[in-house]
Amino acid sequence: MSQPFASIPDTRQRLSASAYIASEEIGTIVFLAEQLGKPLLAEGPAGVGKTELAKAWAAATGRPLIRLQCYEGLDESKALYEWEYAKQMLYTQLLRDSLRTTLDGAASLAEAAARLAAEDEVFFSESFLLPRPLLAALTSEEPALLLIDEIDRADVEFEAFLLEILSDFQVSIPELGTVAARHRPVVLLTSNDTRELSEALKRRCLYLYVDYPDLEAEVEILRLRVPGIRPALAEEAVIFVQQLRELDLRKVPSISETLDWARALMALNAESIDPDTLQRTLGVLLKYESDLARAYRMMGRLPGRGERWEGGRGPANN
Amino acid sequence: MDRRITEFVRGLRAAGVRVSVAEATEAAEAARAVGLADREAFRRALSASTVKARDDQAAFEALFPLYFGSGGPPLQDALEDLEPEDRDRVRAALEALSGRLQRLLDWLTSGQGPSREELEAMARRAGMDRTQNPRQALWITRRMLQELGFGQLEKLLAELRARLEAAGMSEAAIEGLMGVVRANREALAEQIGQQVGLDLARKRAEAQASRLTGDGDLMDRDLQDLGPLEVEQLRLEVKRLVARLRSRAALRQKRSKAGRVDPRRTLRANLRYGGVPIEIQHRRHKLKPRLTLICDVSTSMRPVAEFMLRLIYELSDQVAQARSFAFNADLEEISPAMAGRKAAEAVAEVLYAIPPGYYATDLGTSLDTFERDFREAVDRRTTVIVLGDGRNNHNDPRVDLLAGLRGRARRLVWLNPEGPERWGTGDSDMHRYAPHCDAVYPVGNLAQLAVAVDRLLAER
Repeated sequence: MSQPFASIPDTRQRLSASAYIASEEIGTIVFLAEQLGKPLLAEGPAGVGKTELAKAWAAATGRPLIRLQCYEGLDESKALYEWEYAKQMLYTQLLRDSLRTTLDGAASLAEAAARLAAEDEVFFSESFLLPRPLLAALTSEEPALLLIDEIDRADVEFEAFLLEILSDFQVSIPELGTVAARHRPVVLLTSNDTRELSEALKRRCLYLYVDYPDLEAEVEILRLRVPGIRPALAEEAVIFVQQLRELDLRKVPSISETLDWARALMALNAESIDPDTLQRTLGVLLKYESDLARAYRMMGRLPGRGERWEGGRGPANN
Repeated sequence: MDRRITEFVRGLRAAGVRVSVAEATEAAEAARAVGLADREAFRRALSASTVKARDDQAAFEALFPLYFGSGGPPLQDALEDLEPEDRDRVRAALEALSGRLQRLLDWLTSGQGPSREELEAMARRAGMDRTQNPRQALWITRRMLQELGFGQLEKLLAELRARLEAAGMSEAAIEGLMGVVRANREALAEQIGQQVGLDLARKRAEAQASRLTGDGDLMDRDLQDLGPLEVEQLRLEVKRLVARLRSRAALRQKRSKAGRVDPRRTLRANLRYGGVPIEIQHRRHKLKPRLTLICDVSTSMRPVAEFMLRLIYELSDQVAQARSFAFNADLEEISPAMAGRKAAEAVAEVLYAIPPGYYATDLGTSLDTFERDFREAVDRRTTVIVLGDGRNNHNDPRVDLLAGLRGRARRLVWLNPEGPERWGTGDSDMHRYAPHCDAVYPVGNLAQLAVAVDRLLAER
């Protein structure tokens, strides 16, 4: 059963019970989104835990999480619903005999077609409807949490299509009529801010900017997500990562990368972060050669030509 | 509280933040949902429902304390905690100061601050009517404090202290009294500062509401005579413009997809239905244009070139490829300098790094360099855009090179901030170039520039 949040402190406390450290700000706005029944648009750099917020939110309130990952070219049939053609075909084949009885004795082709048309709702009924995330969220048995992930990747016209759903929580399917939400889902949209979203979409949402957390919060996240890490090491690691974020890098390390790095440090049984350990593990944090060079310069220790770091040429991320 | 929020929203709008009526209503709902007890939560609730772009956050932070106070402490009654005989001593000592700064001392000791009328009168005397610039708030505040006598206060308090000591008041009681008076002094200064800021912000909001079309004006202003502040404002405007242009371009792409049927892809897609064509696939046009820009960056053309490049690079997802070249006396490619960074932001930096020069423009030589070094930048799929005023300082225009360029390119479009009535005057060679262009668009202001870019994206 879903249990909405009762107050701001309750929101924060239950989110943290679901392993998500929510700042005052996040707590307040999540609480508001639920109180007002408004979609929430969370914007911010990649890897600050926007998607994690959705998961924790769903877990904390006991809602099923329905996720729609956006990408270029995403269209209604992938997001909303699709007719199950194959099943329709199969049924027509299997029902050939009964169809023949229906059509038997038709005087003309026109009459046969009319009789067939009278029966066509059989094939355009809900049993042949394949619900995609948006429709699934509207028709869900219990109130759901709909996560529309990375909306900035979808095309602009998809954004326009979302407007209808976000303001009325209903969709029209030509063959069936209008489907209204059984329960109004909570909606979280995330954006990595790679392009400006339309003002119409922003107007319909509450807005939350999620930034990298401060030192204490990130250490807290690390302790929660990487159990068994020594507090001193956790703090040292976070301080280092946060220093990296201040450099002018092509790809700034995200929280998830901090977590991966901490796990790597644990796996290597690192006591503290010495140059040697860094040399071996920095590829987890930085994925570009030029970024690595900058990081070394920051540490005041540029390796000579012979010992140049070679493992860091990861796949280009964007 | 709703009225306060409405006023606040009006202030936000005056500061350039777009807040719809629905959002204002929502802000009030949000405020009710979190309550007023927790100031921070209240602030966040308002912020989440009114400010939807990060750039606008600064305006919000600046205005919020003006409308809802910064939570500074109210004035306290300094005499309240004193013994009755001490109270009499203080009154006597104040009287003995013979009315100097009496008003101020009264406020500071009694905890009764100035009334609203008194404050307004003081503000008027300090020059409030002559300005609506929020930056003057500090100055006006300082003048008001001066008028009240904050400058002499310290001396007077020392005198008061001496008198109280002489009257036999205990050291601890005096300390207590002075502590409260000093706290009141800070609180009063803050109250006055807030009042001034709020009044100025309101005045500004009202002034701006009366000329609603601020942004539109700027869009129609000549790009070549903008002040630096206005250029800054226009840069923000470009973002909105881009969002609009992008959705237009995207819609065009979408509609045009529903054009010709692609038999090969349709067959392939319908194999799973036994070859019965249920899902029809359409041919995807290669609609996104490939652009090669040749921009004049002489001093007078820079703003135009900057906004043009900004538009193109912000719209890079609607463009298949864009290469840009800048010329003044000679030509160089600038696209590599912008690659990998947030291109739109790099534009200004790159452009202004090219040394300026007056009377140095030479399109003839630049076209020659282009033909020699960058021939591969133009093929039959590219649209070549020349951005310039066609003023060539009486150098050889080399019209033949331009004609050749048009022959190899798909289209050649010239964007010129000068209208046809000025072509051919002075050192303008535009009348010679124009017959060799497929189209010449006027780009005197941002609105025209937007139309030109829209047409570039629309052509197929």
